[in-house]
Amino acid sequence: MTDSPAIVVKDLHKSYGDFEAVRGIDLEVASGEVFGLLGPNGAGKTTTVEILEGLRPRSSGTVSVLGFDPALQSRQVKDRVGICLQATNLPDKIKVIEALQLFGAFYSHSADPDKLLGILQLSDKREAFYKSLSGGQKQRVALALALVNEPKLLFLDEPTTGLDPQVRHEIHRVLQELKENKRSILMTTHYIEEAERLCDRVAIIDAGKIIELGTPREIQQRVMGHSLLEITADRAIPEARLPERLRDQKHSLRDEDRTIAMQTDSPAATIVELVKWIDQEKLTLLDIQLKRPTLEDVFIELTGKKLRE
Amino acid sequence: MKPYLAQIRSNLRLMKRDRAVLFFSYLFPLTFFFLFAQLFGGAKDPAGMAHVLSMVIVIGILGNGFFGAGMRTVQDREANVLRRFKVAPISSLPLLVAGLVAGVVSFLPTTIVFFLIAGFVYHMPLPHNLWAVLLFICFAVVAFRTLGNIVAAVVNSASEAQILIQILYLPMLFLSGATFPVAIMPIWVQVAAGFLPATYLYGGMNSMLITGASLWTNWTGIAAFVLTTVVGIFIASKLFRWEKEEKIAGRAKAWVLVVLLPFLVLGVYQGKTRQNIQNQKILTHLENRGRSILFNNVRIFVGDGNVVQSGAVLMRNGKIDQVFQQPPADPKSLKAEIYDESGRTLMPGLIDMHVHIGAPGGIYKDASKYSDPQAGVQRLAAYLYCGITAVRSTGDWLDSSLKLRSEVRSGQEFGAELFTYGPLFTAPGGHPTEMLQNIPQQYRTQAEKQFVRLPNTPQEARQQVNLLKTAGVDGIKAVLESGSPGWGKFNHLAPDIYRAVISQATARGLPTATHTGNSADVDEAVAAGTNTIEHGSRSDQISGATLTAMKQKAIAFDPTLSVYEAIAALSAGDLDLLNRSLVQRVVPTGLLRDTRAALSQEKNHARTDAMRPMLDRLNENLLRAYKAGVPLITGSDAGNILVFHGPTIQHELALWVRAGIPPAVALQAATLNAAKYLRADDRIGSIRNGRDATFLLLDGDPVQDITATERISDIFYKGEQVQRYKLLQQEQ
Repeated sequence: MTDSPAIVVKDLHKSYGDFEAVRGIDLEVASGEVFGLLGPNGAGKTTTVEILEGLRPRSSGTVSVLGFDPALQSRQVKDRVGICLQATNLPDKIKVIEALQLFGAFYSHSADPDKLLGILQLSDKREAFYKSLSGGQKQRVALALALVNEPKLLFLDEPTTGLDPQVRHEIHRVLQELKENKRSILMTTHYIEEAERLCDRVAIIDAGKIIELGTPREIQQRVMGHSLLEITADRAIPEARLPERLRDQKHSLRDEDRTIAMQTDSPAATIVELVKWIDQEKLTLLDIQLKRPTLEDVFIELTGKKLRE
Repeated sequence: MKPYLAQIRSNLRLMKRDRAVLFFSYLFPLTFFFLFAQLFGGAKDPAGMAHVLSMVIVIGILGNGFFGAGMRTVQDREANVLRRFKVAPISSLPLLVAGLVAGVVSFLPTTIVFFLIAGFVYHMPLPHNLWAVLLFICFAVVAFRTLGNIVAAVVNSASEAQILIQILYLPMLFLSGATFPVAIMPIWVQVAAGFLPATYLYGGMNSMLITGASLWTNWTGIAAFVLTTVVGIFIASKLFRWEKEEKIAGRAKAWVLVVLLPFLVLGVYQGKTRQNIQNQKILTHLENRGRSILFNNVRIFVGDGNVVQSGAVLMRNGKIDQVFQQPPADPKSLKAEIYDESGRTLMPGLIDMHVHIGAPGGIYKDASKYSDPQAGVQRLAAYLYCGITAVRSTGDWLDSSLKLRSEVRSGQEFGAELFTYGPLFTAPGGHPTEMLQNIPQQYRTQAEKQFVRLPNTPQEARQQVNLLKTAGVDGIKAVLESGSPGWGKFNHLAPDIYRAVISQATARGLPTATHTGNSADVDEAVAAGTNTIEHGSRSDQISGATLTAMKQKAIAFDPTLSVYEAIAALSAGDLDLLNRSLVQRVVPTGLLRDTRAALSQEKNHARTDAMRPMLDRLNENLLRAYKAGVPLITGSDAGNILVFHGPTIQHELALWVRAGIPPAVALQAATLNAAKYLRADDRIGSIRNGRDATFLLLDGDPVQDITATERISDIFYKGEQVQRYKLLQQEQ
């Protein structure tokens, strides 16, 4: 059972009238895997996820979620997965524990609500009205509700959007724990760090298609196979005297030539070589920085758009 | 089942914590409750309290449905609450159904609170049909919450919901009767109200609380509630939207009409039959009967000849609750309005034992006026206006008089109570068949069937009595009349047939009245054992032996002096009877004008001389009967020319007193005695505990001055204070 993938999608299409929102998506989320969907607004992320959640019918393709077809067995799918939509609310005057009990009653299997409160560090808010909670607490309640049926598979739609950095950090910690518990998670996000930090694999979607898929590192490697090395000296760096091997690498100078930025496929070797040369030139080394390309950089490279546009 | 229960429990909790819900289903109606209770007399008027309860419960249910269910759902959608439920493995049905159930469960305590306050603060007893009332409320709450759900299902935003809810809520609040009495509104508004569900809710509540009606009586309204609920739940679940981003087309609002379809059908039906409007009238009268009043320091003419010079009468729930021989020491403790009636006399309503309600009492120029369908109601209203609270029809068209009786008895029309004997038993060619001769041939057969019974054999007579009994008459009238010089000649009913009529009627429990022309007729009627002798003898003296027999057999004498006086006046060309002030007030002006015009032209002085001795003889027969101890009753024979329906008994009493009868005796004949021979003395005719609160308040003392019976300051009819000026304009 643990070996069978949580989600299998083949050639998924979805059209709204003439508009094709999803144009042939294939993906597989393995059991226990955290999978991220990245893409700009309108790329087809939400549509794809809602089709998987059984909230929306598809136009064509095959979809299997925990072995069920969400279009035909949406009740079975909903009963087994946990879903955390963006921007949901609860009635103002419902208590946290009551919300968990209420939603627990909707599922054929439900977790001990107090245990959930413990996991999400909400035990002291057990009897608090929903209205009185902070943004982060509300989001943790939303996560608790998504976990109320002890799902094997979680769908998280932008789990930290709109939260301040500290709260986002709290949520990340919770998700990290869930990840360690071997639950499969499919999440969409705008936050690159989130995806880099939490996701085993990510897919970048644009215009209804997956344009890249793999581990964050793989994608970086594949799309932008180089790092950026920056070295600053106390005086102008004599570029003309750079050894040939270094001069051939793409580089630029700034700060009155005191800083040199160099792209490299082998950062370690390049650093050693460059530092040695600076020493030979009797310059004093003030700073070294090695920058790996981020998913954001990859994303911009791939789509020409910023993620959060 | 688990999701339903959890959702119901959660709903109830949230309602308890929601201020808007508390406001609209508790505080708002509760405020109205106290406000209305004060306005409608509160503790002194249990029927008024029933009315108040209906009003506030309707207001509560409307709020519960439109705001508690409708607005709530829209707000939950707008606030992305429903979005959270969307991802759970449930359909919209548990949410909808749980909302309905929670609505009912949360509203019932409100109702109970209202009943308790009504009971403890305002002394209204719990209705005996409480369970039926509560069940009715459940049906209504569910139906109105469904309406709220439909509104929520077809609007795209809270502001749209506000508009649609107001469009439905306000007319229901103001036109259903829940805030203003429907009866005061123009008829077209009342017809329009027939399309509103709240009208059936209010009408149902009112009828159950005031008349103790059953669920079955309100089956049409309940059926419409149930249909609306079932169709509404189905449509609401089909149209249910979880997210504010999902929009619905504007034309979807037509679904509201689909859900209201049962009420549109009912409205059309009611518009045609006006049944609801009639029921409303009836209820209005019933409500008016609920006041508690102490008539203090009043002279009481009890009806049995006794007079309390200064006592008090307590009226409650439409009945005479208590009669005080002296004004009570602590009147305030009686929890009643206190009317000081010093100088006034409280006496039972007068009773006319001999009228023909289908005949106008005058002459119409336009012959079609004789068959005016509203005339009967107008005449009974005229009687009531004059303080004559019950009349006995001794000879009228069967169907129309039975219909009239039920219209007045039900409260649908307002007027004197009618006891009807239906058609007259007489011989072919006997009195009053001569009256049918003027009717065109094509209608005559029908008229004969309705107005007379002409049995050819005793056997046939018995059958006809049986049929009338089945039809529901209050008694049987027979005619013994041979005619006399100046009166024409009539075939006399055969003795065996007459005896068959009387004995069969008696056997079937029907009282009998016999028209007699002379002493021989009286002898025959007394021998046969009739209950009342009408007219007596105009041509000779009734023998002492016969009078003694009448006393022994308790056969009452109804001399109807009025009709003979009218005939005498007519033949003398004296039209003074047209000028009596009460006659002027209650008789249609057209009838008075036409009659005056018709009679001014003819004079029959030849008969004038013949009349004087007849009048003397009639007076003498009455006096002799009184002295012989014969029970006396008052009748006028109204409907005959110059005896107009209206202040008949006042005039009859005056004639009696002029003939030498003591006023107290005459007054007893017009009250308790008459009631006895109507077999209704357990309800009317006297001022005693438990009798109907049907009485007059007169300025002065009629025992001293019989004309005081015309100086009416107030009339109460089954506890309802008669709005006299309204009585004569009650027809549209």
